[in-house]
Amino acid sequence: MAEVLLEVRGLTAGYGAGPVLHGVDLDFQAGELLALIGANGAGKSTLLGVLSGLVPPTSGSILFAGRNLTGARPERVVRAGIAHVPQGRRLFATMTVRQNLVLGAYLRRDREVQSDIDRVVGYFPALGDKLQRVAGTLSGGEQQMVAIGRGLMGRPRLLMIDEPSLGLAPKVVETVIEVCQSINRDGVSVLLVEQDVVVALEAADRGYVLENGRIALSGSARELQDDPAVRKAYLGV
Amino acid sequence: MSEAAFSTQPSRTGRRIRRAILIAFLLVVVVVLVLPLTLTQQAADANLDPTTLGIDFAINKSIVRTETTIAMFVALAAAWNLIGGLTGYAAFGNVAFFGLGAYTVGFLTDKQHLSFALALPLAPLVAAAFAGLIGVPLLRLRGHYFAIATLGTGVAVGEVIKNLDVFGGATGLFPPILRHADALFFYLMAANAGLAVVVTWLVMRSRFGYGLIAIRENEEAASVLGVNTTAYKVGAFALAAALTGLAGGIFAQWSSFIDQESVFPIQYNVQMILMAIIGGAGTLFGPVAGAIVLEWLILSLAGGGASAVYAQMGLGVLLAVTVIFVPRGVVDFFGGSSKLSLGYFRRSLRETSV
Repeated sequence: MAEVLLEVRGLTAGYGAGPVLHGVDLDFQAGELLALIGANGAGKSTLLGVLSGLVPPTSGSILFAGRNLTGARPERVVRAGIAHVPQGRRLFATMTVRQNLVLGAYLRRDREVQSDIDRVVGYFPALGDKLQRVAGTLSGGEQQMVAIGRGLMGRPRLLMIDEPSLGLAPKVVETVIEVCQSINRDGVSVLLVEQDVVVALEAADRGYVLENGRIALSGSARELQDDPAVRKAYLGV
Repeated sequence: MSEAAFSTQPSRTGRRIRRAILIAFLLVVVVVLVLPLTLTQQAADANLDPTTLGIDFAINKSIVRTETTIAMFVALAAAWNLIGGLTGYAAFGNVAFFGLGAYTVGFLTDKQHLSFALALPLAPLVAAAFAGLIGVPLLRLRGHYFAIATLGTGVAVGEVIKNLDVFGGATGLFPPILRHADALFFYLMAANAGLAVVVTWLVMRSRFGYGLIAIRENEEAASVLGVNTTAYKVGAFALAAALTGLAGGIFAQWSSFIDQESVFPIQYNVQMILMAIIGGAGTLFGPVAGAIVLEWLILSLAGGGASAVYAQMGLGVLLAVTVIFVPRGVVDFFGGSSKLSLGYFRRSLRETSV
């Protein structure tokens, strides 16, 4: 049995008007590539927001690598080893790719930032000759690569990626997902949040299905792919 | 984080032109800094019989006065740049900090009979403490909402103080006059202006400064990367307030009379922002250049009558033109290698049109 990396129990959260999450439980083994799938408005991004400290939970608990991160501020979450690649990339659009990556290492105090930039370029060779380009002038796919790379610069144990496929061509989605898999093979646990269920379950070890703020289903990626309810609701078959 | 990642490489001719400009600039700075000493010496010599002083003396005095005022606005614009330019929060109420600094010195020297030297260090502390207090709620607002809230705060602080009898009420406060101290006040204002530039330079090179720029560029992303956005924004706001409050404290003693109207003027809010934006918000020397040129213009055209009206209209047109054509300011426009100058636009046009 692998080490438990993340343990979420009874998580409730919302934005004032009423809760979006109603008691979410989640177990994450170290080294897994986990897919979190669900329809628009199911609460996927809110769950990531709570995990990364952007949204305060109203109840429940978050345990990460033995540490209690319930309601912790984002900088403590980042220090603990969780990186959040937000939906819509959220790059520093007027800065260069290199500056974006350097800012990803914001909380680190070592001098190995350059070797980590090389590592990011290793994952995304397309960025190799674009480090001096202004991030806002890159294509959508390249911007997504910068966003993931910026997340990696913090040397996280857990990388949470929110909707990387959003607005990208299928070919580019494939590349991005493949890199997520190789990042995972190199020892980083990955939580992949996707509306594109086919893509997500193809890549993941296990999956959770979030519906109306509750975990409706969970299991291995294969089980979910074969589940009649999932097939009907998300795969359209 | 490596500093090298953020540096840019200027071309050789660019470097040469820049060096020439720098030398000329330093020469002017030396002249400006020495001038008040020689100009005010005359007054000290004629100490015993002021009636022997003629028109030259009046002119000299006004030159020193102009220089002092310009130095004051350099400090105000550079201080605003910390919160408005670097952090991207358009504070429209910094005059509150100026007034609080002025009233701190005014109250302590007039009512508590403290010496100016002892009272002055408290001015930035009071201003910064107030900024810390209002910063926590106000800096949760963004864009126009933050601008309006700070504008309101600036006005409100002045009104409250005016209605408190301990602070002299509507009559104001009268710090004891320091005679023949024109040069002293100039050097104090100039030192504060220098301090504001040095603080900006240090901030821009620091981890704190990168955090502020990250907040300006994308606050949510900055937060996700581990920047403690609340603490950083309040820190930048308080730093700006301290420098502004120090200017106010010096001003109070310099003018030896303060009331709500003289130290909470709303037009200062607009002027310091104009100076920073026209010069180049977010750059080191932009606000300095903007303050020198604009305040010199304002003072030269302030003869009253029609010219003053034209000056105000001119400022409005200038702001509109700057924001549309040189959104990053004049200093950035001429700084060939910086990433948002004309060269950058040409390059990025070329790159994106391929």
